[in-house]
Amino acid sequence: MKKYWFVAGILLIGYLVLIAFLYLDVSDGKSYPNKPIVIVVHSKPGSAIDLMSRKIAELAGKYGKTAFVVENHPGTQGIVAMQYVMDRDADGYTLLGVTKSFISTLIVNKSNVSISDFTFLANMISDPEAIITNKKSGLNTIDDIIKQADELNGAQVWVGPGTGSRDHLMAMKTWKTLGIKAHWVDYKSGPQSILAMLRNEAPVYVGNPAETIGKRDLKILAIASANRLESLPEVPTFRENGYNLVESMWRGFAFKRGTPESAVKYLSGILEKISEDPEWITYCKDVFSFPEYVGPHIFSKRVKVETTETIQYLKNAGLLNSYIKKAILPLWLMGLIFAVLIFSILFWVFRFDFTRINFNIILSSIFLWISVFFFYQTMLFSIPEGLNIISPALIPRIWSVGLFIAVIWNIINEWKGKNKPVKVGNYKLTGKIIMLLLIYFVAISYIGYYLSTPLFLISAMYVLKYRKWPLMIINALGFVLFSYLVFDILLKIELPLGSLL
Amino acid sequence: MDILQNLGQGFSQLMHFTPLLMIILGVIIGIMVGVLPGLSPSIGVALMLPATFGMDPMSALVLLTSVYLSSNYGGSITAIAINTPGTPGAVATTFDGYELTKQGKPLYALMTSLTASTVGGLVGTVILILFSIPLAKLALSFESYEYFALGVFGMTIISSLAGDNPAKGFISSILGLLLVTIGFDTQLPFSRFNLGVSNLADGIEFIPALIGLFALGEIFYSIENFKILRKEKSAKKTILKRKSLPLNKLWKLKNLMLRSSVIGTLVGVIPGAGGTIATFIAYNNAKNTSKNPNKFGKGSLEGVAAPEAANNGSVGGALVPLLTLGIPGSASTAVLIGALMIHKLNPGPQLFEKEPGIVYGLFISLFIANIVMLGIGLLGNKLWVKIIAAPKKLLYPIIIALSFIGSYFIQNSLFDVGTCIAFGLLGWMLKRAGFPTAPVILGLILGKMIEENLRLSLVKGDLIEFVTRPGSLIILLLAVFSFFLPYIKKHLAKRKQ
Repeated sequence: MKKYWFVAGILLIGYLVLIAFLYLDVSDGKSYPNKPIVIVVHSKPGSAIDLMSRKIAELAGKYGKTAFVVENHPGTQGIVAMQYVMDRDADGYTLLGVTKSFISTLIVNKSNVSISDFTFLANMISDPEAIITNKKSGLNTIDDIIKQADELNGAQVWVGPGTGSRDHLMAMKTWKTLGIKAHWVDYKSGPQSILAMLRNEAPVYVGNPAETIGKRDLKILAIASANRLESLPEVPTFRENGYNLVESMWRGFAFKRGTPESAVKYLSGILEKISEDPEWITYCKDVFSFPEYVGPHIFSKRVKVETTETIQYLKNAGLLNSYIKKAILPLWLMGLIFAVLIFSILFWVFRFDFTRINFNIILSSIFLWISVFFFYQTMLFSIPEGLNIISPALIPRIWSVGLFIAVIWNIINEWKGKNKPVKVGNYKLTGKIIMLLLIYFVAISYIGYYLSTPLFLISAMYVLKYRKWPLMIINALGFVLFSYLVFDILLKIELPLGSLL
Repeated sequence: MDILQNLGQGFSQLMHFTPLLMIILGVIIGIMVGVLPGLSPSIGVALMLPATFGMDPMSALVLLTSVYLSSNYGGSITAIAINTPGTPGAVATTFDGYELTKQGKPLYALMTSLTASTVGGLVGTVILILFSIPLAKLALSFESYEYFALGVFGMTIISSLAGDNPAKGFISSILGLLLVTIGFDTQLPFSRFNLGVSNLADGIEFIPALIGLFALGEIFYSIENFKILRKEKSAKKTILKRKSLPLNKLWKLKNLMLRSSVIGTLVGVIPGAGGTIATFIAYNNAKNTSKNPNKFGKGSLEGVAAPEAANNGSVGGALVPLLTLGIPGSASTAVLIGALMIHKLNPGPQLFEKEPGIVYGLFISLFIANIVMLGIGLLGNKLWVKIIAAPKKLLYPIIIALSFIGSYFIQNSLFDVGTCIAFGLLGWMLKRAGFPTAPVILGLILGKMIEENLRLSLVKGDLIEFVTRPGSLIILLLAVFSFFLPYIKKHLAKRKQ
């Protein structure tokens, strides 16, 4: 036993040191930046902006005082990442990787975040939009596309990822510039769109030059840039063919608005130095893009102009409408009404014999409610006409009806006594653990992970009737120290420190 | 033939200190990544990516693929130990793996999983080397109709999981399918069913739901039926004393492992299909062809061998489209493509011509990595068994804390931790009332594939195309067959009596 107390004591000292380190502001007096700067990337690792951010992080280490760390926050084509940055302090330690698609994403998703919530630091790279075809399609020049589009009278299919996305907007812009009409089919993702091209499913794909590398069947018909790419000198531009179409997926960085001027200056300075670094220029060439540095002033102006243009195109395509009708009664009230209805019918059917209304029945009724509630919500969908899609209500309705039928089937089985009885154990004990767990959950956001976890661990073990105190302390503190090592240090994820402290 | 020459070049690229060290390092890291719930193979590969920037291309590639390969195995360890798949590909392993642990035989499950994973990896590599070109054609031939059919095929496993109560099985699966429609619509920039909660705009985050449903759900249910301390002590002794799995039992599984590996590789070839759906198809196939189908779900070694062979086989499969077409076969291979590009290697058919040494070096490294994984896994098993034997009262709170971290760390979001808790409660409710919980996850995993591709197909063509295209027709027939087979068998068995 004594041995255990000794180990527990050592861990306690280690733990207290950790708490002091995390919570006492050691950084006071040191000027910005005095800890690593996080670059927030809106996609999963491996994407173009992810790789670019990692390259920048590597190069910034040369020019900056502290390290740069990349964090991936994928979701909703960027909204999750933008929201994450907005939730943090504007202290200059959270940098957002921004790309042109954000403009359309924010507008299309009607997010609370707006493009003016950010201070644009610099654009670093410009990845030109490209019109790509499969060699087997027989199309070799822009004129061939125009000819085919006119022959097909609006039925020519252009593919790419997303609806209302950058590539979709590029397609619409191109149609306008070339004076043709065509049809957009959304293939969900870059790789799937490319596969569709490799299968020669449609004549045109809107993407970027880098995507064609190594794919012998694909051919870039034109890129929408001012000049030809050094790395692809044989690919013509729209401009040389007389079409003033310049469109690129630019990628740069921004801070949350309100970040102190000193941080903005510091970071813009680093980015400008990187833009002149030969290693960076080589990188841009290798990924078939243009190194394009644009400073904060011009960058902000450009974003404003592009925002206006994007809104125009989206409006014309009918993509800015609201998709949900305003219902007479609010959603929560309808939900309540359904619940009351369902449970009333249930009690009536079982003739208020509560001994037969067991847990299985109650759970089934909840599922019944879910199916009805979902179906009701699909009736509030209001989808604009003329879009080449299948209604978003179709599949959820099929599932709701299926769930409804399955639950009725189950209730009938229960009525007939076909189901095995529910085993009821010490649910109070589980209830206690769940209470502790919920308190732990709330506590994390107020006093942070490192303070609430040992408390939770020890109280949970106690409730489960474990009483060997030294082992409990060793376990609790040991686990917290272990999680610091693995998560904060190795994986560089900051576990929450709590808002109160 | 050229192959011998290329293999020679591969050897010369690979046989240096750094690449070989990277294999060992990659396997260890991969297993750790797999074990931690919340870290999936693609995140693991992505985390290692920056570490490879300074390395030569061979070492970088070898490190990342070793992580990818062994993390698929690593997920089974937690699946077996605490009913929490460390990776989505280990979901099917929980069905029988955790049962074996409950019966005091975790080592049996761990050994089977390790062996099956190794076989899967080796078979996958062989198929990759010999059949890349024809398989690339397979990858290209898959359109939305076939993807839809594949999704439906994956769902048919519910007939195996629902046991005697198909109504409950349907309820669980449709619940999952319905829940995954929350979030972004697949054809319009429109977020459905989010009840105005901005965190739900992109839908329910999958991994916290998985962790909640499996780990927390099991803990809540298990606490309710907590056996007394005395039994725990004797159980601990039994687990630690039990000898390792008799090898002849493993040998009997060899045909199943081979078959499941092939299934895994073939499914892995399809871009976007991935190891997880392969495990479901393999599990169902194992049950349908088994001499002891009733043992499935109650601790059948076959139920552990099949999915594990499949998910490691899918690694070899996913490398086919990457190397032959330059298209990622899975999320992890998407990161690998990024890594290749950073090292100025352009994935695609040209890579074979320009850098055969790197490609064949990769192939050889896969063989070596599988063997290394087997060795390290054997050592690791001893450790895992000791942890499994620890008293539940110590383990459960820690698993809860780990679940919280695993859920939090995907997006630095406490909302995801809330999702985990909510699904934990759901899992508990389901278990109490006798509903199977696995079909919910199935619905969450396959729902998007099914809906996206159904709608895309209907935009491109008509319903009739599903049966006129040979690909989707075959898969749909297989799905129907595999779904009804357990019921047909039961019917025939009753008749015999």
